[in-house]
Amino acid sequence: MPELVAEDIAKRLGENEILRGVSLRLERGEILALLGPSGSGKTTLLRSVAGLERPDRGRIAIGGKAIFDAAANLEIPAERRGLGLVFQSYAVWPHRTVFENVAYGLKLRRMPNGEIKTKVEGMLTRLGLKNLTGRYPHQLSGGQQQRVALARALAYGPPVLLLDEPLSNLDAKLREEARHWIRQIIKETHSAALYVTHDQTEALAIADRIMVLDQGIVQQEGTPEEIYARPACSFVAEFMGSNNRISATIAESDGRRARIAADGWSLWGELHGAKKAGDAATGVVRVESLRLADGGGDNRVRMPLKSASYLGERWEYLFALPGLELRVWGERALPPGEYWVAVPPDALWLF
Amino acid sequence: MKLRISRVAASLGVTVAVAAPLALLVYQSFLSDPFFDPRATLGLEAYQYVLTSGDFHRAFLSSFAVSFGMTAIALPLGSLLGFLVARTDLPGKHWLEPWLLVPVFLSPVVLAFGYVVAVGPVGFFSLWTKALVGTVPWNLYSIAGLIVIAGLTHVPHVFIYVSAALRGLDPAVEEAARVTGAGPWRIAFSVSLPLVRPAILFSGALVFLLGFELFGLPLVLGDPAGLLVLTTYLYKLTNLLGVPSYQLMAVVAVSIVAITFPLVYFQRRMVGAAARYAVIGGKGRAFRPLPLGPLRWPMLAIVILWLLSVVALPLAGIALRSVVRNWGEGVALAEVLTLDHFRGLLQYPNLVRGIANTLAIGVLGGALAVAVYALIALSAHRAKGIWPAWLDYLSLVPRALPGLVVGLAFFWLFLFVKPIAPLRTTLFSLWLAYSVVWLAYGLKLITATLMQVAPDLEDAARVTGAGPARIARDVTLPLVRFGLIGSWLLIFMMFVREYSTGVYLLGPGTEVIGSLIVALWGTGALDLISALSVVEVVIVGAALLAALRLGVRLDA
Ligand SMILES: Nc1ncnc2c1ncn2[C@@H]1O[C@H](COP(=O)(O)OP(=O)(O)O)[C@@H](O)[C@H]1O
Ligand SMILES: [Mg+2]
Repeated sequence: MPELVAEDIAKRLGENEILRGVSLRLERGEILALLGPSGSGKTTLLRSVAGLERPDRGRIAIGGKAIFDAAANLEIPAERRGLGLVFQSYAVWPHRTVFENVAYGLKLRRMPNGEIKTKVEGMLTRLGLKNLTGRYPHQLSGGQQQRVALARALAYGPPVLLLDEPLSNLDAKLREEARHWIRQIIKETHSAALYVTHDQTEALAIADRIMVLDQGIVQQEGTPEEIYARPACSFVAEFMGSNNRISATIAESDGRRARIAADGWSLWGELHGAKKAGDAATGVVRVESLRLADGGGDNRVRMPLKSASYLGERWEYLFALPGLELRVWGERALPPGEYWVAVPPDALWLF
Repeated sequence: MKLRISRVAASLGVTVAVAAPLALLVYQSFLSDPFFDPRATLGLEAYQYVLTSGDFHRAFLSSFAVSFGMTAIALPLGSLLGFLVARTDLPGKHWLEPWLLVPVFLSPVVLAFGYVVAVGPVGFFSLWTKALVGTVPWNLYSIAGLIVIAGLTHVPHVFIYVSAALRGLDPAVEEAARVTGAGPWRIAFSVSLPLVRPAILFSGALVFLLGFELFGLPLVLGDPAGLLVLTTYLYKLTNLLGVPSYQLMAVVAVSIVAITFPLVYFQRRMVGAAARYAVIGGKGRAFRPLPLGPLRWPMLAIVILWLLSVVALPLAGIALRSVVRNWGEGVALAEVLTLDHFRGLLQYPNLVRGIANTLAIGVLGGALAVAVYALIALSAHRAKGIWPAWLDYLSLVPRALPGLVVGLAFFWLFLFVKPIAPLRTTLFSLWLAYSVVWLAYGLKLITATLMQVAPDLEDAARVTGAGPARIARDVTLPLVRFGLIGSWLLIFMMFVREYSTGVYLLGPGTEVIGSLIVALWGTGALDLISALSVVEVVIVGAALLAALRLGVRLDA
């Protein structure tokens, strides 16, 4: 049985349709990332599950028990849903020590003091906050506050943990480390997690499954590999990874593959959706799929080098023809001139 | 350069206007006779007399009890109200909100009189209750009655600060408690209110302070029971002794200031502490108010009951009393209705002058005061260094001075300083005293208004080549025009409802409604008092409606 089920959640504020019928399932112990650009409705969906926002339509159930049903006018208030929530701003209580912050949920559940102490200390040890129990939030760094927020949400063992961009206020270095331990902690506590982020790398690293949201609609759902390697639409294709985007016209099509062409170049790619010769199409190809080749051949284009930049671990070259600009990665500096760029046909997605 | 001159002028002017009356009071308190009496010598006799007087001790204890009691009532109720309005889904709260501040704009002496005629021993509601249950189950003329009424009417002073502080709180800290499993009351007591503790302490100190400055309520409600507090003791001192004893009055005034000053200082410190605690955040996402659940309607009932008891009840009393010929047991309301009292007002030239003077001091005096406050505030606006800090402390001084005391000091000043003596019988003396009493309030209004101008706008003018005076004239003032009009409306209401400051300055030419009511109260002319009160309430009410229509924020 799934831990969390939301069906057909819709919400509008004034003219603004923030969610337009989103459904999701979260299995026990699973981490589902809700990925989308800023303003796509992620926070609104998360807050709807938490009970802090009331959707206009839809149903939500936790552990098989309905907690919200617009049609039946059922709305269990947030304080009785028993969920854990980590806020983007952390929202740790500044007038309570680290210990008191984490113990709060257990106190509300009337756990005896001795047990609270063991439990909170266990949680704090696990999160590396053992020496900070008596400190107040303003005496902590951002990263430590973030851990307190997580400890507080996990302390009472909620069946579902909701996290709203929990790493977005950390600096880049801390964020990379946090991806690993956050996933580890969630897995250790066996709680299911709904993890909201706008950062694709974060979603890929942390989640078991990813749901891509745009303009209040689920664009694609799948494992990180599926989302990255087999995007279902141009939005997902372009949202993930580093891409070259080609606007062109289909020259010929066999239904499964198609060829796009313009002055001086012609490329085969995988066709997504029904397109026939003469239709406009958008080609997307990941930068890392492109290679420089020694000579001409299938799906290769001879292009002049426009510029090259050094990025540290690699070089990035920019090649340009009329109507075709391609970024390619390589290991060395290139002298000016013309080069052959190889485009694997199954790596060029035509939408 | 021009600004520097105006800054010096402003600082001198404010310092003199604030310090001179205070200095005269202190000086007089150390004299043996009135300061203008050649026989006056320096000494401590006055202190010895007052500080060993039983009446003074009783007045001091009463003042303390009233302050303490009213704080104990206003603080929890005001905090509750702040939480309900700022944070919860209390039904109809947007509609209710402007009404919650109305008691601030009603003159305490009018309110007190309203309570007398509504729920006093022979008040309308008392007699109607008696007709129903056979007895009047309350006694207005008691220290308990005074404390309850003072407490209830000071709820808005707490509400203003607590609700403002709560609004600045990041809703996420409350939502975090909610998701963790806390209901609305739990959230209020474990998260919201602890986080605005500085605002609660600040407003508690404010109400406690105002308790020592109360004058209208104890004068009207304490008198029949023989209850004196410090201010009414000061007021009655002349009657008690039969001779005007300036030195004793000065000692009492100085004693009041000795209590209020530390309180004001403590309050000032609390403002600094508030900044350290602030959890201001959130992305301005319109948050969902905390649902009160089944308690929504009982809470609304409490709020409405409170509003009825501090606004509707006394105002209904006054309105009724102003249209009946007489009132007492066995009188049928329909048989005694009359408009004679209002016609009666016109037969007393001093009352007519009082109404005209009240309007003049509100409209013209208020505008002039706003202009002066604006000049002072502008001279400190975005200035650094010692002047803003000095001004900040200077404006605290009048807050520690009850209007009655300021009025007394200015009365003496106008007697004492020969060049300004002729002004004593003009409205100028009254205007000066009013402006000093409301200095802190006015400066706060104007400073807040000026701060709404983004610094970049002013800096842009500076970079273009404008000097400070030009920036004020060409950028700051035009941008805050609307705010200044709002400030003027608020000052207008304060000046119209003011009563204690004019008590000692009352004379031919300086009559205003407030001080006339105090004087009439001594003669028991209830008919005239009720008619005058209605006139005052109508004037303030009209200004209040205008302010609400213009969208002026009342909770400054
Ligand atoms: N209170 C509100 N009133 C109107 N629009 C809102 C409100 N809150 C959020 N929105 C809008 O809803 C959309 C989705 O917001 P949100 O759920 O916060 O997105 P995300 O978390 O994906 O950035 C945005 O376009 C935002 O501007
Ligand atoms: Mg968001």
